[in-house]
Amino acid sequence: MGNMPPEMIVWTAVIVGVLAVAFAGVMLLHRSLYVCSVCLLAVLLQTGVLFLLCGSPLVAFLHIMIYAGAVMVLVVVAVMAAGSDGGRFSDFSFPRPLAWLGLLVALMELAFALSKGPLLTTAVPSGLEPANLGAVLFKQYALATEAVTLLMFLAALAVVPDKEAA
Amino acid sequence: MIPPEVLLPVRILFGAPVAAILFGFFVMRRVKPEWTHLPILASCAAVTASSMMLAAYVYAGKGFDQPVMHWSVSGDWGVSFGLRIDGPCAAVLAMVAFVGSLIHVYAAGYMKGDPGFSRFFLVFHLFFLAMIGLLTANDYVQMYLFWELVGVASYLLIGFWYHKETARAAALKAFLTNRIGDLGFLLAVLVMISVFKTTRLQLVYFHIAAGRLELVSLIALGLTWAACAKSAQWPLYFWLPDAMEGPTPTSALMHAATMVTAGVFLLVRSWPVIEAVEGLPHLIAWIGALTALGSGVIACAKKDLKRILAYSTVSHLGLMMLALGVGKVGVAVFHLVVHGFFKAALFLCAGNIAHALHQSTANVDEVGGLSRSMPMTHASFLLAACSLAGFYPLGGFFSKDAILDAAWHHGGALSALSLLIAAVSGFYIFRMLFLTFFGARPEQSRDARFHEAEPLLSVPVLCLALGSALVGFAGGPVTRILASGWVMVPPGSPVMPGDINLPHMNMVVALLGTAMACVGAAGAYCATMVFPGWDWRWRGGRVEALIESDFGWKIVVGWFAAAARSSAHVIGVLFDHKLWDGFLESLPRALGTGADAIARAAQGRLNDYLWWMAAGTALLLGRVLR
Amino acid sequence: MNLTVAVWATTGAVFSIGLAIVVVRRQLLAMLLGLELMLAAVNVSLVHHAELYRDEQALAVVVLVIAVAAAEAVVGLSLILRLRRAGVAADTAQLRELRG
Repeated sequence: MGNMPPEMIVWTAVIVGVLAVAFAGVMLLHRSLYVCSVCLLAVLLQTGVLFLLCGSPLVAFLHIMIYAGAVMVLVVVAVMAAGSDGGRFSDFSFPRPLAWLGLLVALMELAFALSKGPLLTTAVPSGLEPANLGAVLFKQYALATEAVTLLMFLAALAVVPDKEAA
Repeated sequence: MIPPEVLLPVRILFGAPVAAILFGFFVMRRVKPEWTHLPILASCAAVTASSMMLAAYVYAGKGFDQPVMHWSVSGDWGVSFGLRIDGPCAAVLAMVAFVGSLIHVYAAGYMKGDPGFSRFFLVFHLFFLAMIGLLTANDYVQMYLFWELVGVASYLLIGFWYHKETARAAALKAFLTNRIGDLGFLLAVLVMISVFKTTRLQLVYFHIAAGRLELVSLIALGLTWAACAKSAQWPLYFWLPDAMEGPTPTSALMHAATMVTAGVFLLVRSWPVIEAVEGLPHLIAWIGALTALGSGVIACAKKDLKRILAYSTVSHLGLMMLALGVGKVGVAVFHLVVHGFFKAALFLCAGNIAHALHQSTANVDEVGGLSRSMPMTHASFLLAACSLAGFYPLGGFFSKDAILDAAWHHGGALSALSLLIAAVSGFYIFRMLFLTFFGARPEQSRDARFHEAEPLLSVPVLCLALGSALVGFAGGPVTRILASGWVMVPPGSPVMPGDINLPHMNMVVALLGTAMACVGAAGAYCATMVFPGWDWRWRGGRVEALIESDFGWKIVVGWFAAAARSSAHVIGVLFDHKLWDGFLESLPRALGTGADAIARAAQGRLNDYLWWMAAGTALLLGRVLR
Repeated sequence: MNLTVAVWATTGAVFSIGLAIVVVRRQLLAMLLGLELMLAAVNVSLVHHAELYRDEQALAVVVLVIAVAAAEAVVGLSLILRLRRAGVAADTAQLRELRG
């Protein structure tokens, strides 16, 4: 991050890491699945920031998109559909300070991204070119990429309900 | 190869009883139990005929010793099931088959109407078959098997009326005593296997003749011990008088033909082994003489008819042992044959008396003056009793005279003892005769039920009595059979088969023996006819107690039995029940607890498995990263 | 204090917590979320080291892992839903017998 001193990057990473660990701890300890999934979302966001800080905006972008966009929606829908037991469904009591903290962090990060965003994407000194990544993915790892693609396709089939279940 | 001229009799000898027993068991017992005796009687006739043919074959100077089949072969050692037809076998077999068959006929009448008729006949014939197998065995192991089979059959027959407490106890006593004796046989066989590597009689003889005498005294002592149990000699005689609890034909068969002769026969068979041990024949002679005298005296005091005869059997077996002990094998076998006849006749007479009373035995108090109501039984009894006492020219005279002569030539105390035995046996048998058949005394209840037995009962008895009278003249043939059959004996071998010749008639001994028997008979006449109440008056004192306890030996046996029982208690209750069973019973509980503990680790909870997985991964990682 | 230390501390802690969630919690959904945590932690570490060693292959692996994790989440969630619809509680305390 050219206009961001390395010191600052480290401290940001520390803060983000502490937050991630804190939310992970909440996930471990809280009984409600809602709280868990929301905390997971928070942790994944922090992880995305860490990716960014480590100098891989592409991976960060993919990560945020897939997890926050797709997987988390699935998780929340699953929790709503399957839920836990009826009694536990109602005890949605997200710890209020934690909620404020999460909101604050999100806002701060948003502000950070908005203020330094255009720089971030380009200014992080990266020796890794996305083009090289593409080359690796589709040359050396072509077979693995194909396999993963097929796997995702099959996974998509898994959600299609079969007749007897329907 | 079995010689072809005797192939048929040999086959019949085993085939007929086996077939009869199987047929009786599987067919007759189901279809018509009261006819079970028919195939068995047919088998008896066939067996008697073939044993006579075999006797004639041996009489002609032939004989064979032939393995027939191998049984339970393992490595280079195995038991060969074989046949040995030789002198002792043929002589005893002829008597056993003839007398045994007559007793079978008698039993058909005696047991008629008994609820266990068919069971009785099957076991009875099994007894007979076991004896045949024992006599024809050519191998000690085979002999041992039949020896045990004889024991089992005797157990089943003595306890035949199993609803009677005394019968069960007597059967158990007989069986256990015989087991104690069989231990000696087993030991002898095992030692034989380890020393000679063979148990075949012929080869054992060869080994002995070749002077291989290591441990031979152990073998001989074991065999003697076994013979003492089977042939009811001191110190193991006490089961025989109690064995009267079975039906009378059982007693007759056991005393005359099958069981008790097995011991003497074993000693005859093993005589080369016995003789090879210094002093053992002498010991046998003394055991025989003392047993004969002691049991003779006891027989004088008994009141139960069958018990008198039982002690008399012990006494006569003692005489046979005495003859064996002084080396006269032929004399012993001859007396065995003669004794089989007269003792069977006497037992069946007692059986007739008991049968008339519908009892299993009769007491002196219940009989008296039966000569009028049972004339045929009386005649038979008289004949057999005179034979037993040894009056010329009845059978007993010749065989007993031979024994007396043998003892006389042996000299010393044995000759005096044998004369005493002659007097005592004259006394007890005539006491029984007078008490039973003559002049009812006031002490005796006169039962109106006495009647002559039916022909099926009385004819066999008469045959046996006549046989006992005439068999004495068969001394020559018996000796010849004995002498001629010793197949494959090394000629002139010093250990072979003992002295089989009967002594020539010695006038001094014959007169002395007859005189002693007369003294006994006269004493019995005095004690029962001249002073008719004497037999009841002398009782009640210390003398009777002494005799009732068999001169104290019963008390000693009681101690042994108590010791055995208490050790059995220790083993059975303390050790087996408490310690071992307790251990076994607590084992499943302990296993269950352990299994529960293990099962707790594997009750299908995903989280547990994940724990183990995480731990294993950590272990592997630690191993890899180090 | 440099970036490597921060990343190691963070990823180690998050991975451990994810493992703890998988091992300790009994709801299948929560266990699935724990799995996601573990994967994310590993990814962060991988990305950092890819940057350190200038290696594109690690980045490719991260991309593949993200894809596989998404697929796994989809399959796992649909399995849980299926279980739920079959009337079985998505709880390892009750899911103890295999039926084959």
